[in-house]
Amino acid sequence: MTSPSPLDFGDRGVSRGWSRPGRGDASLLVCGVLLVAILIHSGFFSPGAWRDFGEKFHQNFILDGRYRMLLDGLKATLSMTLFATLIGLVLGLVISVIRVAYRGGARIGLLNALANLYITVLRGTPVMVQLLIWNFSIFATARDVNTLHIAILAFGLNSGAYVAEIFRGGIEAVDPGQMEAGRSLGLSYRVTMLRIVLPQAFRNVVPMLFNEFITLLKETSVAGYIGIDDLTRAGQNIQALTLEHSQPLVMVALIYLAMVLVLTELVRRLEKWLHRSRRS
Amino acid sequence: MRKSGRAFGGFAVFTLWAVLVLLAGASQGAEKLTGIDQLKDQKLAAQRGTIGHFLAEDLLGEDSKALLTTYEKYVDAIAALRQGKVRAVIMDEAPAQRFLRSVENLALMHESLSEESYAIGFRKGNTELRERVDEALAAMKADGTLAAIIDKYNGDFSVKPEDIDLNKGARGGKLIMGTEAGFAPYELKVGSGYIGIDIEMAAGIAKRLDKELVIENMNFDALPMAVSSGKVDMICAGITVTEDRKKNMDFSANYVEGARQVAVVRADDYEAPAGK
Repeated sequence: MTSPSPLDFGDRGVSRGWSRPGRGDASLLVCGVLLVAILIHSGFFSPGAWRDFGEKFHQNFILDGRYRMLLDGLKATLSMTLFATLIGLVLGLVISVIRVAYRGGARIGLLNALANLYITVLRGTPVMVQLLIWNFSIFATARDVNTLHIAILAFGLNSGAYVAEIFRGGIEAVDPGQMEAGRSLGLSYRVTMLRIVLPQAFRNVVPMLFNEFITLLKETSVAGYIGIDDLTRAGQNIQALTLEHSQPLVMVALIYLAMVLVLTELVRRLEKWLHRSRRS
Repeated sequence: MRKSGRAFGGFAVFTLWAVLVLLAGASQGAEKLTGIDQLKDQKLAAQRGTIGHFLAEDLLGEDSKALLTTYEKYVDAIAALRQGKVRAVIMDEAPAQRFLRSVENLALMHESLSEESYAIGFRKGNTELRERVDEALAAMKADGTLAAIIDKYNGDFSVKPEDIDLNKGARGGKLIMGTEAGFAPYELKVGSGYIGIDIEMAAGIAKRLDKELVIENMNFDALPMAVSSGKVDMICAGITVTEDRKKNMDFSANYVEGARQVAVVRADDYEAPAGK
């Protein structure tokens, strides 16, 4: 769930690293050549392979409308991601405010301890183990609860722990001078926090929240373990149906990749827009 | 910066390519298999938690248990076999036959490893439900319903999920069944529904209990957990009765007898003894 801090934007608010021209070209070249090498190795360019590919494609995705299994899976994946993110956002904001307020001198020791415990436990255990515990231990007897809702809860609570840390980081990245300036002008702690610190913190964390959303999208792929036919599981169901191994998996991967690419582009534009006022 | 990046890229590609070729070459050139006995020191695969898994463990023994790889799904195990990652997959004969029909270059070893009986699993101590299901099962055996269901799936999977009556809206509440729908002909997910011997049998049982059948599809190794936690009422997934499983679960009467456990191998890696 961790990704490099986006709080440090070079001089124009564009993140560094892979987007540097030289390295981008080289990595693209590596990927391209490797892909071609693997394809040649697996006999992709032999004459029969293409006919075979078409037949298998038809069998895997077209026959009996099997693509609908993928669409249903996609729906489950998206709804899990979306609702879990919402839970995570609300929870994360509350937790981070508790922790920051405690450090700011508020007398909420018990709340702060609970918040710390929550973050420690949920960030310290794998999300898949948490999912299994929610479904098979905590909600074992609640049989009328929809499994999808349990998964949303599990992923949402897990995400909340990470979002809390993102928010805290964002708030603490705001120059302490902002708070001091607000207080010295006679504003209360609450007003300074709400009107001056949080808006700046928000600008800092929006890209990271999006990244959290993207990470969550991929993490929901373990939901099959508790019987949810998400996108990954839909691919496996097609595998069991056609006994064909690679095509359903590659298709599933491509769908995830397409979604992540679109979201990444959105984050990039958002980042640019948020930092439009920065002097370059 | 640009130049060294490209040079590094070329080097990485070459290295990976060489590794791929070496890996592909390493899996060839071994002697062909002729019988089950030879599997004792070979790389084997099975679906996790199935009888095939336990049989493979017994076959390999304590010393070579590292040679066993277990997968979540049969499809994965068969893929490993085809790619030469393992020499044989130990599994139930019925799904194995289905693989043989649709995947090239597979064969069954002529000897079977064991014969098993399938039964429905319940939470330990859930005697009331078990007895009612046993009654329904006995009735379905007596009037030939069960035999007809098993016959129906003899190589034919054209059944539509919507044609199976799950007794929706029944007054007696729900009968939740846990299964792993990648085990044709016993259970298979088709579109948004399920077909298979276990599904139709459970639907028949639900009807006799005046309950609505609800199907929960999960991984095979999660099924015991699901039934003992009360998440599902019963598990029905071609489950073999074993002494170990009886310790943690109650079982219905057997509904399938003599289900063979077989070793699936690559046809070009197998030389059946003469006359077989």
